[in-house]
Amino acid sequence: MAQAGGGNTSHLDCKNLHQYLRTLPTKLLDQLYTHPATCLAVFQDLDSLAKTFIMRMLFLEQALPKASISTWVKSEHSGEYLEAERALAGLRIWQEQQLPGGLMGWVLNGTFQSNLKVALLGGGSPWSGSRAMNDVDKYGKDIKYLDTYALERWECVLHFMVGSKEACDGVSKDVVSILLHAGLMKCDAGDSLPAITPSGFHFLLMNTAAQVWYFMLQYLDTLESRGINLVECLSFLFQLSFSKMGKDYSTDGMTESQLPFMQHLREIGLIYQRKRKSQRYYPTRLAINLVSGLNQSSADAHREGFLVVETNYRVYAYTCSPLQIALLALFCEMLYRFPNFCVCVLTRESVRQALICGITAEQILNFLRSHAHPEALKKTPVIPPTISDQVRLWEIERDRFKFSDGVLYNQFLSAADFEMLRDYAKDLNVLVWEKPKNRVMIVSKAGHDDVKRFWKRHKTS
Amino acid sequence: MGKSKKHKRDKSDEADSEKRKAKRSKHSKSPIDYDLYDDDDSRDTEGSNEAAPAAASRTATEAAPEDEFGAKDYRKIMDLKLDHKSRPLWVAPDGHIFLESFSPVYKHAHDFLIAISEPVCRPEHIHEYRLTAYSLYAAVSVGLQTKDIIEYLKRLSKCTVPTGIEDFITLCTLSYGKVKLVLKHNKYFCESAHPEVIQKLLKDPVIQQCRKRPQLEQGGNPADGELVTEQFSAKQGLKVNKPAAPSATADPQASGSGDNPEDVKPDVPEDIVTYYEKIDDEEEDEGEDIQTVSFEIQQDQIETLQKRCIELEYPLLAEYDFRNDTVNKDINIDLKPSTVLRPFQEKSLRKMFGNGRARSGVVVLPCGAGKTLVGVTACCTVRKRALVLCTSGVAVEQWRSQFKMWSTADDQIICRFTSDAKDKPMGSSICISTYSMIAHSTKRSWEAEKVMEWLQTQEWGIMVLDEVHTIPAKMFRRVLTIVQAHCKLGLTATLVREDDKITDLNFLIGPKLYEANWLELQRNNYIAKVQCAEVWCPMTPEFYREYLNTRTAKKMLLYVMNPNKYRNCQFLIRFHERRNDKIIVFSDNVFALKSYAIRMNKPYLYGPTSQGERLNILQNFQHNPKVNTIFVSKVADNSFDLPEANVLIQISAHGGSRRQEAQRLGRILRAKKGAAAEEYNAFFYSLVSQDSLEMQYSSKRQRFLVNQGYAYKIITKMAGMDEEDLHYGTKEEQAQLLQKVLAANDTDAEEERMAGDNLILPKSQMRRKVGNMSSMSGADDTIYMEYKAKKKDTFVHPLFKKFRK
Repeated sequence: MAQAGGGNTSHLDCKNLHQYLRTLPTKLLDQLYTHPATCLAVFQDLDSLAKTFIMRMLFLEQALPKASISTWVKSEHSGEYLEAERALAGLRIWQEQQLPGGLMGWVLNGTFQSNLKVALLGGGSPWSGSRAMNDVDKYGKDIKYLDTYALERWECVLHFMVGSKEACDGVSKDVVSILLHAGLMKCDAGDSLPAITPSGFHFLLMNTAAQVWYFMLQYLDTLESRGINLVECLSFLFQLSFSKMGKDYSTDGMTESQLPFMQHLREIGLIYQRKRKSQRYYPTRLAINLVSGLNQSSADAHREGFLVVETNYRVYAYTCSPLQIALLALFCEMLYRFPNFCVCVLTRESVRQALICGITAEQILNFLRSHAHPEALKKTPVIPPTISDQVRLWEIERDRFKFSDGVLYNQFLSAADFEMLRDYAKDLNVLVWEKPKNRVMIVSKAGHDDVKRFWKRHKTS
Repeated sequence: MGKSKKHKRDKSDEADSEKRKAKRSKHSKSPIDYDLYDDDDSRDTEGSNEAAPAAASRTATEAAPEDEFGAKDYRKIMDLKLDHKSRPLWVAPDGHIFLESFSPVYKHAHDFLIAISEPVCRPEHIHEYRLTAYSLYAAVSVGLQTKDIIEYLKRLSKCTVPTGIEDFITLCTLSYGKVKLVLKHNKYFCESAHPEVIQKLLKDPVIQQCRKRPQLEQGGNPADGELVTEQFSAKQGLKVNKPAAPSATADPQASGSGDNPEDVKPDVPEDIVTYYEKIDDEEEDEGEDIQTVSFEIQQDQIETLQKRCIELEYPLLAEYDFRNDTVNKDINIDLKPSTVLRPFQEKSLRKMFGNGRARSGVVVLPCGAGKTLVGVTACCTVRKRALVLCTSGVAVEQWRSQFKMWSTADDQIICRFTSDAKDKPMGSSICISTYSMIAHSTKRSWEAEKVMEWLQTQEWGIMVLDEVHTIPAKMFRRVLTIVQAHCKLGLTATLVREDDKITDLNFLIGPKLYEANWLELQRNNYIAKVQCAEVWCPMTPEFYREYLNTRTAKKMLLYVMNPNKYRNCQFLIRFHERRNDKIIVFSDNVFALKSYAIRMNKPYLYGPTSQGERLNILQNFQHNPKVNTIFVSKVADNSFDLPEANVLIQISAHGGSRRQEAQRLGRILRAKKGAAAEEYNAFFYSLVSQDSLEMQYSSKRQRFLVNQGYAYKIITKMAGMDEEDLHYGTKEEQAQLLQKVLAANDTDAEEERMAGDNLILPKSQMRRKVGNMSSMSGADDTIYMEYKAKKKDTFVHPLFKKFRK
């Protein structure tokens, strides 16, 4: 199939915490480390070797020679050592310093060091905004309620993206602008409502944790332009990730920047606050797992799957969520809708349509797998291998060109010339393609020099 | 490609088609276009109208709004019940039903659905069924009542049942199955449990004509007074040997959840269980007395009556009260004490003998699941003269040995009637023959003529029709008019026809009585566990170039002879021969068949192979450890019983025929002994040339099996193929092969044409074919046609207008 590429097939560039922090300017990083919560979160995100280095140096006030640090690691693991070293330097957790003897050494970032100590050992002032309430909330909510609330809010955003009519009360302008900024949706000229883009489809097929994280990254990017202090927001986010599920916290002591930020989090379901002016809030699972949940592959473990994929390419969905059905409709042909059940089928055309939109076979399969119905989960593999093979083959099918470099020879004056040169190239086994009618031929790159030399010699003689 | 081939065919039939053209142009504007698709169809058109009532073609359709994705949106029409979790069904207004196989009441629902609807697909988790006029007809004929069907459907459904469906069920069941044609005490009666129906029929002048009245001159009121009313006690007519252990072990599912209340899980709604038991009881009809009304019919008017009843939308169900038949004497045949039926075989027979009489109908079981035993048991139950018809001479032999194996019948009472073997018919009570022998319309040998006379004069108690799907309806009708039988049992594995002529079978033989679930049988080890694979063989550039540039039938030859396909085939054969497997290679194309087989030095057989050589090859294949692979053409598609074979490789097939695919798979389905430990014990490979027409065909072909729950694994590259020293590895060899293919003429490129394809043709055509071996061996009519769906312009009763498409 001569369909060159499928437009935008690139994956969404979803950075993890580490990669994100490295994009921040150094000044900002230093400011971030003034909050113990941030330091702890960053520390947790590091790999174990880097953690070990920090723990060993946490109470050292002076630089350590690089040479002595490298002796902590066996020589065969020097690769991992270098990696840890680079990671720590990139995050400005340690810095290079010249030792008196002229040797180079590492010293921990002072702010980071002292604040991590606070985080690990206690002390310091209580984290702002995360003070627990003393009295009991008469409107107290349990964990189950918070979970459904969070998902409901979050799905509102997703509904808006797929443009489903059922999308509840719509979303605020701010969220729309973030979606536009992230390139998940775009405004066509003359159309008032933004439409979803190929990367938007990618986004929809990610699991909820990854979606929220990606959305937050994009959101943080736009903070500066709104005149909100990024550092304060980030530290608030990190604090949230250490809060307890189902516990209420007070808004006391929150800064000017943090309050509007909190309202945004409230809109997308990261925080539950009964009323805008309410003095207390509950962080939801989305916020708590924001930083840590990213590295866990298990998607929405707290939600039951609903998809049954059969060997005859049928997909049955036990759901009434218009969002899930809209997602399925991206790559399935829909046949029947019942009140709580939906019948659709994977066809070559429907899958190809999705592939053209930039969705990959792996994403489709991942979606089917991660939302599998408990009955389907009893089988291994969850998706019948026939189906997964076929979906992959449909993807490969679109990409069957083999490219080989070559040089085009044309404008031969006579058929004899053409044939002579062609035969020569053929003998050398470097002829890629020929069309005698038009007297054109292509010679492989490797054979080009030879053929050219031969042609010159022939012409002169 | 299709077109050019069609053309070719047309030419060969020119003389004949000229004659028919005039006639045909009445129904079709372009006779040429229909030729290929319609071959046996067009010959059927005359008179096919009386075979099925007009209403039979209707379907349940209801306009439903479409949602934004183009799906039919029933959310507004249907309400979800509160306890929907414990109920297993969704019923769509267009007649499709979805069933959860993991539901606790699956067993109940499955039994019920199989009785009232056609299975569409039955994979692992969710099954789909479809309500059709035929399936409901079948439901009524095994004794279900309209109100029970609707009521039980309502109880099983998660949602409310659409009113359209209720109406549809009512419409289809009210008139069907109400009237029965019963042969009792050697008199024909038109019988019904519903006096009002009888009254209605009697008002019809044609039917009055058919009626047999003792005193015709008395006149008076013909409608009442002379009806026979009687009590009739219906008892299960089937008696089978039970294995030593109680039935619970033989049939754990059937006697499971339904019977013992403690087995029923607490979340099963009470109403489902109670109703199920009620229906189950009714189906069994244990000793219940039924009041019936009947009137006698003149024997010579039966056909007129049948025809008229169909016109009146009251098709007659044929039932045979064999116990009270005193004219035809019982034959001395019984099942051997050692013969034990499998649960599904018993179940299918229970449907047939449900009320103590023998109903006519079709039983659908996968190949290799023991259809023959069902046929033998049916004959032993009826204990009247039995006629068995099958498709080939080989099958006749197989039936004979099966009769001897399962029952007390011996050579004395079994008579074969084929072109090769004609036993003395006198004194025998079981006759086994082929369809083509009976339907043969030209001059026969004197001996055959005598046998035919005998056949025609006999009154057969039961007629068993094997591989019933293969026979063109026209031929059927011929057979049925030649031989008289009181009840007919059709046996088949694949009740699909590319031309949808299956509908005719419903009215020629009877409704489908039972259809087994392939996957379930496989799970219980009644049939082999087959790994199906589609092997993609890339076309070599040279072949593909020619393929794209060729416009004739040779195109097909190019993709079948693709060197990569050959290499894959050779590799698979070597691989499986090393495992000591027995391999059958199928090729519809004779040119390819020969080239492959000769190059690999393997035996092959096809139409022209003589009977002696055939048996020789087959015996060697079965017993000689040195012969592990045979190449066969489509002569082996049906009823070639080769229990040893466990690997099947298909290199060329007939277009997109679903039935052929299923039949071929059937060759390796017979349960394999002592191999239960392995995940799969049989292998089915279909080799297709990538990017050629074959790819489309194969996906079409696989639909039937995929719907039965089989999964085709796609193999794009065979591991270890590079290490093997295979033929056609070099460019030179491939070029030679290409030359050979290009040198072949167009007739080579065609599929094997069976001599019997044109069995019912003018005599001039026929004469040419006499003596053809494949015809003699009964490989006739193994034709697979692709048919274009044709809009039928049949009359529809105003009542059913609502259900027209």
